[in-house]
Amino acid sequence: MSLLPVVEAIEASRISTVMRQDPYFSAVVNVIHLLGLVIFAGSILIVDLRLLGGGIKKQPLAQVARDAQPWLIGSLILMLSTGIPQILLTPTKQYYSQWFWLKMEILPIAIIYTFTVRRMVAQAAEGRVRPVWRMLVGLVSIAMWTVVPICGRLIGLLS
Amino acid sequence: MFRPLFEFVDALPSSIALRESVYGYTALLTTHVLSMCLFAGLVIMMDVRLAGFGNKKTPISEIQKRLFPWQTLGMVGSTITGVLLFYGQPMRYYGKVFYWSKIAMMILALLNLLYFHLRTYRSVSQWDTDITPPMNVRLAGIISLVLWAAVVATGRLTAYDWLTYR
Repeated sequence: MSLLPVVEAIEASRISTVMRQDPYFSAVVNVIHLLGLVIFAGSILIVDLRLLGGGIKKQPLAQVARDAQPWLIGSLILMLSTGIPQILLTPTKQYYSQWFWLKMEILPIAIIYTFTVRRMVAQAAEGRVRPVWRMLVGLVSIAMWTVVPICGRLIGLLS
Repeated sequence: MFRPLFEFVDALPSSIALRESVYGYTALLTTHVLSMCLFAGLVIMMDVRLAGFGNKKTPISEIQKRLFPWQTLGMVGSTITGVLLFYGQPMRYYGKVFYWSKIAMMILALLNLLYFHLRTYRSVSQWDTDITPPMNVRLAGIISLVLWAAVVATGRLTAYDWLTYR
């Protein structure tokens, strides 16, 4: 079964049409999405650098992760709530973009990974997780969260 | 006044080559975004501490010391890619209000940063572990947050044709 009829129905829907009629809507949504991305990147990196053995060393990893958590969750909500309107705005464009689909494959994995594996390792008692595993968890996080914004940028550039 | 200079750069073979390369613009813009994430993301983590909004249990000097090298790396990356993006299309940016607003915001943000590090930061030992730092420190953090957010926003809006003069 092809998704295309669904995609076309969304494109023709009232909400999509109304959003497209306002020339500033997509720009504003885009800017907020980008501001969310920057906050998100900061809250991810501050923990990942610590996982890799650098970053804020005077503070236990668990505390760094706890401090980053509200920024992480807040910015993620901000990005999801500005990401979905962007899909509704131009569903056909997204449908035909390989970068959109790659992003949609990695994004859920990265979110689940961040709130399960990475969270457990970050919250584990100091010394319980071997440094090599901590580094691996940090590297996988950085890798996935680098690919996601790259795909996001390329949807706009190479579609 | 500057127009002949912009037109001169615009006509340089290397500028034309950059402009006409198939993936040059794409690669530069994508790297620009990634460097921005590194730079602005970690600057925000520092600023929320200064402003008293978050990371409250970590000494300010520790955040400064540990994040500074990564912020610098991000700044170098965004500057190099930013200069090249400009070099490839000077006439595209010449008449853009959003582009020049971005440059102005960046200069203001850098002045704020310099003032903070050369003046305010000297007394860091007195407020290093304050949950809520003194007002002048908080103000430096809030001003930085507002200005860098404006840099990101006006940078994104540069992509549109609004407020563009020829």
